[in-house]
Amino acid sequence: MIRAILLTVLVVVFFYIVWINNIFAPHAEYEIPEEHEKIIMDVKYAKEGRELFIQNCAACHSVRYDSLYPSSIQANPILQSLQEKYGKVLPNDIYQAVFANDLNTLKESFGKVPPDLSTSYLVKGPGYLYNFILKPQEILPGTTMPPVMTGRPEETAKIVAYLKSVAEPPPEEKSKRKVMGVVTIGYFIVMGVLIWLWRDRILKRIGLH
Amino acid sequence: MFGRIGRWFNDRSKLSDLWQSQMVEYKVPKNLTFPYAFGVMALIAFLIQVISGIFLTMYYEPNIHRAFDSVNYTIMKEVPFMWLLRQVHAAGANFFLAVVYLHIFTGIYYNAYKKPRELTWIVGFFIYFVLLMTALSGYLLPWGQLSYWGMVVTTEIPTSIDSAPIIGKLKIGETISIWMKGGYELGQITLGRFYGLHIWLLPLILLSLVGFHFYLVRAHGITSPDGREIDKKKEGVPFHPYITLKEGAYLMGYLAVFFFFVFFYMKHFLPADNYDPADPFKTPAHIAPEWYLLAFYTMFRSIPDKFLGFVVFNLALLLLLILPFLDFSPLRSARNRPLFFIMFIVLVISSMALTILGTMPPTPTNALLGLIFTLGFLSFFLALPIISLIEWGWYKAKGGDRQ
Repeated sequence: MIRAILLTVLVVVFFYIVWINNIFAPHAEYEIPEEHEKIIMDVKYAKEGRELFIQNCAACHSVRYDSLYPSSIQANPILQSLQEKYGKVLPNDIYQAVFANDLNTLKESFGKVPPDLSTSYLVKGPGYLYNFILKPQEILPGTTMPPVMTGRPEETAKIVAYLKSVAEPPPEEKSKRKVMGVVTIGYFIVMGVLIWLWRDRILKRIGLH
Repeated sequence: MFGRIGRWFNDRSKLSDLWQSQMVEYKVPKNLTFPYAFGVMALIAFLIQVISGIFLTMYYEPNIHRAFDSVNYTIMKEVPFMWLLRQVHAAGANFFLAVVYLHIFTGIYYNAYKKPRELTWIVGFFIYFVLLMTALSGYLLPWGQLSYWGMVVTTEIPTSIDSAPIIGKLKIGETISIWMKGGYELGQITLGRFYGLHIWLLPLILLSLVGFHFYLVRAHGITSPDGREIDKKKEGVPFHPYITLKEGAYLMGYLAVFFFFVFFYMKHFLPADNYDPADPFKTPAHIAPEWYLLAFYTMFRSIPDKFLGFVVFNLALLLLLILPFLDFSPLRSARNRPLFFIMFIVLVISSMALTILGTMPPTPTNALLGLIFTLGFLSFFLALPIISLIEWGWYKAKGGDRQ
């Protein structure tokens, strides 16, 4: 019994560290003021954030999964005909080939093509994005990103809220998934208990209990 | 009507005879413990991977320009319920390996590799090895930063042969590395061949090995936790319904835990850095393989000499393969073997510590710890022949060999 407990504890602690919370691995923390964190977590600011994104960021950055392209490309009439053919979200190779000129112009001014921000929320998390957009040089010294949003923390938070809404499923979808999860887990637990009870009855009947 | 069709079918296929002989008349020890259920859990995990994988191939595009979007846009956002299948496949891979590791350690604990089951163990080892290859090739497919750079690191490991004293001049390692990648750099050819391996060749090999493993388990019967072979004519309980329902109930618990992770905790199984598309010009700060390879990776990394590191981690795999021949003690099961139990705990703690060390930055202290735990890992295998000799002594002192 002691052996079983010892081994079980070892296994559970191991998977807790490796899968859930690795207390040994290094990870950076970024602070967000509370009122701005509220804005980021609130979906209703996403629409406003999209407008702010178009005004401040879309000169260079694309959000391809929201069919938002850098302004020079957005103004190009070819874009619409391509979208009719391939769908709102253009295939990456076609996008890069057709708009190679625009992308190269951006590359010349910044040293590299400013990254697409469709999944940036999932990669960096709200803390990094918020602080980086506010003061790029402090968070990533040597970056070519200009301090566009410096001194406008609330609007920055709204832009992050927009990026969050692009990366994550919409709220009604999220709550649907939560219900699905609870029902699935509940089903398996109930089935497990039922199988166990049924087994008890069968074993009693055939005298193997 | 259905009854008649069923009877017609059964008269010709004789499936009920098969069921009777393989499930009901097949006797197993009555006192099987919980860890014996890891085998059937691994089987279910394999089925889950096959089913979810088949659906994922319908929308995945093995093309370096489109792979990332096909995974993160088409599968995750566009096609209904594909997000679920992807999360099942990603979490399923981790659970599959976790269960296989637990199954391996259960086998070691109860000495399930001993005569006549050596071949079962060896086939199981190859299942484990092919499974690692499958996981490795599948990890490249989303074409994110972690996929890309993880594979860069992995394909560089064979080049450490080239730092060996004499055979290094032959550049075997570089040849293997180029052969794995299909060129000097990771690109379309690499993605194409890993895709083919991941969806066809490796799963088919896995399937046939699992089938053989099953046949061997049936042919020799299951070990008992106290290490005594049962006399199948006199004792033992029928596999169905005694064990099937017991392990079926455990299986439901396993699936409940599995789906908890699928729906509510994918942070580890779909890591943040892999949502960044692969960029050959941007090396991420911290590259490490997935957790199931970290123990071997830490062994490789902690040893200062590259070639020696390569030898040691291959030695660790080899020792695992020949484990049935290292342990020739007449006693079975860690329950009856105190010395074996102590070394087993050393093995478990060393492998866990090596895995956790792999997630930490490579500082000199960590390298030293890695070295210590590598020795701990190897000492289990090297101690087995000594323990066996001591136990032969005990066995003879009790007059065991005269019976």
